[in-house]
Amino acid sequence: MAHAEKATEFNKDEAKVNWHDKALWYVREKRDKSAHGVIGWEHLRDVASGIKANVLSNLDNYLIEFEKNAQNNGIKVHWASDAKEHNEIVSKILADNNAKKVVKSKSMLTEECHLNPHLEAQGIEVVDTDLGEYIVQIAKETPSHIVLPAIHKTKEEVDELFQEHLGTEPSGGNPEYLTNEARKHLRNKFLNADAAITGVNFAIAETGGIVVCTNEGNADMGSHLANVHIASMGIEKIIPKEKNLGVFLRLLARSATGQPITTYSSHFNKPAKGKEMHIVIVDNGRTEQLSREDFRASLHCIRCGACMNTCPIYRRSGGHSYDATIPGPIGSILSPGKDLTKHSSLPFASTLCGSCSNVCPVKINIHEQLYKWRQVIVKDVKQPVVKKSILKVAGGVLANRKLYNFSGRMARFMLKYAPRFIVYSKLNAWGKARDLPEVKGQNFDQWYKVKRKK
Amino acid sequence: MKVGLFIPCYVNQLYPQVAIATLELLEKLNVDVYYPSTQTCCGQPLGNSGYEDDSKGACQLFVENFKEYDYIVGPSGSCIYHVKKHFDILEQTPDVIKVRNNAYELCEFITKILGKTDLGAKFPHKVGLHKSCHGLRGLHLGSCSERMDPHFSTEENLLNAVEGLELMSLNRKDECCGFGGTFSVFEEAISVKMGKDRIQDHIDSDVEVITGADHSCLMHLEGLINRQKKPLKVMHIAEILNKSI
Amino acid sequence: MGREAILKSIKENKPTGIPLPEIDLNNFIEDINLLEEFKEKAQVVGGTINELESSETIEDVIKKQYPNAKEIVDCSKKLTSLTSISISEETNPKDLQNIDLAIIQGEFGVAENGAVWISENSFPVRVLPFITNDLVLVLEKEKICQHMHEGFQLISERERTFGVFISGPSKTADIEQCLVVGAQGAMSLSVILI
Repeated sequence: MAHAEKATEFNKDEAKVNWHDKALWYVREKRDKSAHGVIGWEHLRDVASGIKANVLSNLDNYLIEFEKNAQNNGIKVHWASDAKEHNEIVSKILADNNAKKVVKSKSMLTEECHLNPHLEAQGIEVVDTDLGEYIVQIAKETPSHIVLPAIHKTKEEVDELFQEHLGTEPSGGNPEYLTNEARKHLRNKFLNADAAITGVNFAIAETGGIVVCTNEGNADMGSHLANVHIASMGIEKIIPKEKNLGVFLRLLARSATGQPITTYSSHFNKPAKGKEMHIVIVDNGRTEQLSREDFRASLHCIRCGACMNTCPIYRRSGGHSYDATIPGPIGSILSPGKDLTKHSSLPFASTLCGSCSNVCPVKINIHEQLYKWRQVIVKDVKQPVVKKSILKVAGGVLANRKLYNFSGRMARFMLKYAPRFIVYSKLNAWGKARDLPEVKGQNFDQWYKVKRKK
Repeated sequence: MKVGLFIPCYVNQLYPQVAIATLELLEKLNVDVYYPSTQTCCGQPLGNSGYEDDSKGACQLFVENFKEYDYIVGPSGSCIYHVKKHFDILEQTPDVIKVRNNAYELCEFITKILGKTDLGAKFPHKVGLHKSCHGLRGLHLGSCSERMDPHFSTEENLLNAVEGLELMSLNRKDECCGFGGTFSVFEEAISVKMGKDRIQDHIDSDVEVITGADHSCLMHLEGLINRQKKPLKVMHIAEILNKSI
Repeated sequence: MGREAILKSIKENKPTGIPLPEIDLNNFIEDINLLEEFKEKAQVVGGTINELESSETIEDVIKKQYPNAKEIVDCSKKLTSLTSISISEETNPKDLQNIDLAIIQGEFGVAENGAVWISENSFPVRVLPFITNDLVLVLEKEKICQHMHEGFQLISERERTFGVFISGPSKTADIEQCLVVGAQGAMSLSVILI
């Protein structure tokens, strides 16, 4: 289903849309306030964007450097061309360690690879331990936001889910109570896990180390308690030097939630004594995106979610309307690169207002890429005949003054004299909720001819 | 200084009063202004829909119509942005480059090129300014709320100089209205919801008249206001600046 | 299989010659009191600040703040004489599940975000600062830097094993954006400034 249809569905409950919009706008405002507190914010964005551009131009060498340094520190490095390879590598590591119980902290990459169903099919228990991800996991849903995975759920809905899955008392959706119940439940999972899977926020070529950022502490609880830690990362997570973290850690949390930094910024360089640490480096379409000059800057993304919080369409259509692992503006430029036909409506789910590009901490020109994807899509994906022919005809009309005069007059005539039931018929999406402009006696051309004879 | 007046297609056909106000305003400011009669459209509706290639004829015609002028001025940030940004699909001849460099949105032309802000207008009403996205974030007519730059606004400077006009402060200073060209029909539900929310912000802020430098956004908002019979008027900024000058 | 294919594909598809930019730290010069800024930010992120008075000991402050703590791990190297469960690198991390309080010496604090850097040198079992119910970080007042750029300069020569910037207690806002302190990690964080 196209974005517009799902968005229409979401908009049937206007109160919920209002809530969703306000909740995310509030996050955007917290981000503004936090960023205002940093002098040199725009310089930070410039540098961050520049570092990421450099990373792409030297990505192969940085990855080799990273691998070497990580291996020297006793970390095992694996490479996966696609989701299938990634999942097989993870399975093998788990099998080698006889691991049956896995705790996972937030990783959009493992969502992208559909790791959970893959492991579950092999009889492995996988528990998502980020509270938001845990909520969507037990609801058998997908995250609707990359930083706030359960933002589409009301507290009452969470209350019911917890009653069913955790046996909690009805609390009317008391967040403290529910969070504490989840804490108790998940603590048990952490203590009994054989392996922990985490994402990677940054991987440093110079040191071979990785940094994982969380607010809850779940990545650390998982990885330090289990005997095996598997960290999955896309190839674009590399940064050249450790000092570059200064730039990114200042931007990331402020852009994401308005916090000055996440509660925990954990730097993993060596496995703990007697434990194993694995890093899986994943391509899964990223090098293909790298080949597209117009779209490669989408690989700068540090997954802060700021573009979602600021996007007036995302806020009013909900993350699930995008039907993609990464929703919102950034998802709308990443997803078409993976499956152009499936995601062909996403670049059109935008007014091209440009707020996303201006809020992005790594200055991805998101709205310009949306425009460019549109040009690609109408050529490569079959378009509705009506839309296509109307716009093709329009191209001819606008290039020809006589045709333009004629059609302008016709349009004005129709607007003025056609019966209201035709103008506001079902075919007219404009007129469902909006009046059409009132037609004046003459157009400007006619007025000008009479009033300004030069 | 010869100025070519560019009137966007929908303004020509549906909002002649905006075109007239623009022309009169420029004339009163002693600008030597011409209206090339064979102009049609900047091609934006096609480009934004993905049919940029089919818009080349319209873009080329635009260049032909305006290449002889020192400046091209139009009452629409969005169309001017399209000329400046997206005419890169044409071969970059000296004419194309000249047209792209010298195309100006009306307010920016008045403040930057003519160096004027007080135009002697009078408009004793509470006004809410809709900062259209392409003007704001595309042409940088002002600072946008996402960036940590010092505050400025071309339209606010002009409106603040209008006698009797009270510029009202909005809760969301520069959120998109949801027009977005063909977005307004292909994503009808979201487009309408965005427009409704924008209007409510103006109502909550005691606004009597919504204005802006882009009439396409205003057309969308006006359509909603009229349907819902909200107590708001919509006027292009040129109409306000042209009041009793 | 994956490795060579990925590297080859990158080589063929990457842009060329984009230099690594240098940051200009002059953009961030601010006339601020580092200690005051740190104290403010550490509280903004949900932490508690205790500045030691001349008549007080760290122990007094901790006893006052955590009167019920029984299972205590003190890694502060004799800064207190609190009875402590002794742990070493050999300790099974799962054995720390009932710890009430951990005391760890912070290496430095960061004024811009209230974070404190601690590294494995100061706590022999990595899970300790996360699994403990409450966490106390002891920090010398002089050891506060302005921002993260300085912070990374300070740790550039360290022995790299495991280290973490901690800013406040564990928290989440995943249920309707309501902030709840105490998610999976420590329920509270207090920084004692000495």
